[in-house]
Amino acid sequence: MAKSYQEINEKIARGEAVVVTAEEVIGIVKERGVKEAADYVDVVTTATFGPMCSSGAFLNFGHSDPPIRMGEISMNGVDAYGGLAAVDTYLGATQPSADKGIEYGGAHVIHDLIAGKEVHLVAKSQGTDCYPRTELDTWVKLEDLNEAYLFNPRNVYQNYNAAINGSSQRLYTYMGILQPNMGNITYSTAGELSPLLNDPLLKTIGMGTRIFFGGAQGHVSWMGTQFNTACPRDEKGYPQTPGATLALIGNMKEMDPKYIRGAVYEGYGTSMFVGVGIPIPILNEEIMAFVAVENKDLYTNVIDYSVPKKAKPVLKKVSYAELRSGSVDINGKNIRTSPLSSLKMAREIAEELNNWIKKGEFFLQEPIQSFPMGNSLKGLEIKEGESR
Amino acid sequence: MTKKILLSFPQKAAGQPMAMELIKTYHLDFNILKAFIDDNIKGTLLLEIKGEEADIEAGIVYLRQHQIGVRDIESVVEVDPDKCVSCGACTAVCAVGALEMTADWSLIHHDDKCLECMLCVKACPMRAIHALI
Repeated sequence: MAKSYQEINEKIARGEAVVVTAEEVIGIVKERGVKEAADYVDVVTTATFGPMCSSGAFLNFGHSDPPIRMGEISMNGVDAYGGLAAVDTYLGATQPSADKGIEYGGAHVIHDLIAGKEVHLVAKSQGTDCYPRTELDTWVKLEDLNEAYLFNPRNVYQNYNAAINGSSQRLYTYMGILQPNMGNITYSTAGELSPLLNDPLLKTIGMGTRIFFGGAQGHVSWMGTQFNTACPRDEKGYPQTPGATLALIGNMKEMDPKYIRGAVYEGYGTSMFVGVGIPIPILNEEIMAFVAVENKDLYTNVIDYSVPKKAKPVLKKVSYAELRSGSVDINGKNIRTSPLSSLKMAREIAEELNNWIKKGEFFLQEPIQSFPMGNSLKGLEIKEGESR
Repeated sequence: MTKKILLSFPQKAAGQPMAMELIKTYHLDFNILKAFIDDNIKGTLLLEIKGEEADIEAGIVYLRQHQIGVRDIESVVEVDPDKCVSCGACTAVCAVGALEMTADWSLIHHDDKCLECMLCVKACPMRAIHALI
């Protein structure tokens, strides 16, 4: 029997909704079958906690007296964007600091703000008739700011490559340190608990979907950048390569520093670990069947990161169950596998979201618009000539 | 018995013949695993010492009496549990399995297996792994 968002929300309000995690639901579907499980379960919680570089914060500092139109802005030595209105900025997660480089970047500033720490704000301006101040040097806390919200253009990748290094040199990448001569494989996923792998065709996740975002209640605001719903899929519709992504928005003032953390990838740069949980309403049997997916049925490609080209060679197609087993056989050689995103924290987030819903603190938001399917990726052509 | 100890020498203790005393008076064998001296002439020495348990204990008392810090360690790296998120990135470079994921996907540090390559210090995105020397 099909359910509506409203019916599920009424059950949440009465404290009667059956809410389970995307890992727990696998056993329920095996035991009861898809049809009965779809009647029984109302919401399945999914989550992930991993490095998501395309992240950052919009901040408004409020006006000083006399006021300044901030042109060059830095926070704890990390440059923020000065091309918005007078005291608005965007602080990108991967921006390194002037003094500590990638060891302390935008993501670390964002974490420190959420943790309630004072941050050193320095701004310069050429001075205008309406904004006469030319310099500013002060300390700010999150609570001092007017608005502070994360607006991450690309998070929660639906599937991602596993990485290997076929060269004789050690590689330092955003997929971690890759040992030479195919010494190891790294992968980054919450697998069967991952949000977009549980809703592969985006039947319930769209613009406006309410989510767990860094410990706050946030929203899906748009399709993420490099949104690739035209990716290759298996016969059921699960992506076999990187697929959909989401742009997320949420209030930093309601976030928990535990779920938003600065990260450093040696030889590569700063990134940010972002904790995201997405509830999937079990509206019908089709959605129930999708969330029952297991690691053994989810596949990705092992890609050789030593090839300095956009199209890197695929060495093997592997399931997440194989990757999670600790080693994968490639050409007769057993190669160790290591995760890069924290399944332990993802489970904690799925449980936390589960508790919010059970306590009636979190309600489902039906998307106000669905995302396009069949959206493919464009590359960037390098064109010759100095002027056109 | 064999024991791994990390010695820290304050400036004034540097230059004293401690090693000779350990050999002569306390009959201890030792293997210098790592040695480091900084710009302020503070020294750090990682030793594997071998001898009778009572001699080792007496030797450690002797070192402490001479203002040398002595710390029992298994491994020269420490994982800060408050910073670690159990992502697993360090396990990618730990070929000996000293850093490993448990069945529930928490990170576990088997410090007795560590070969002190220190690659995990670089591999940790949270900078939660700290080298003692």
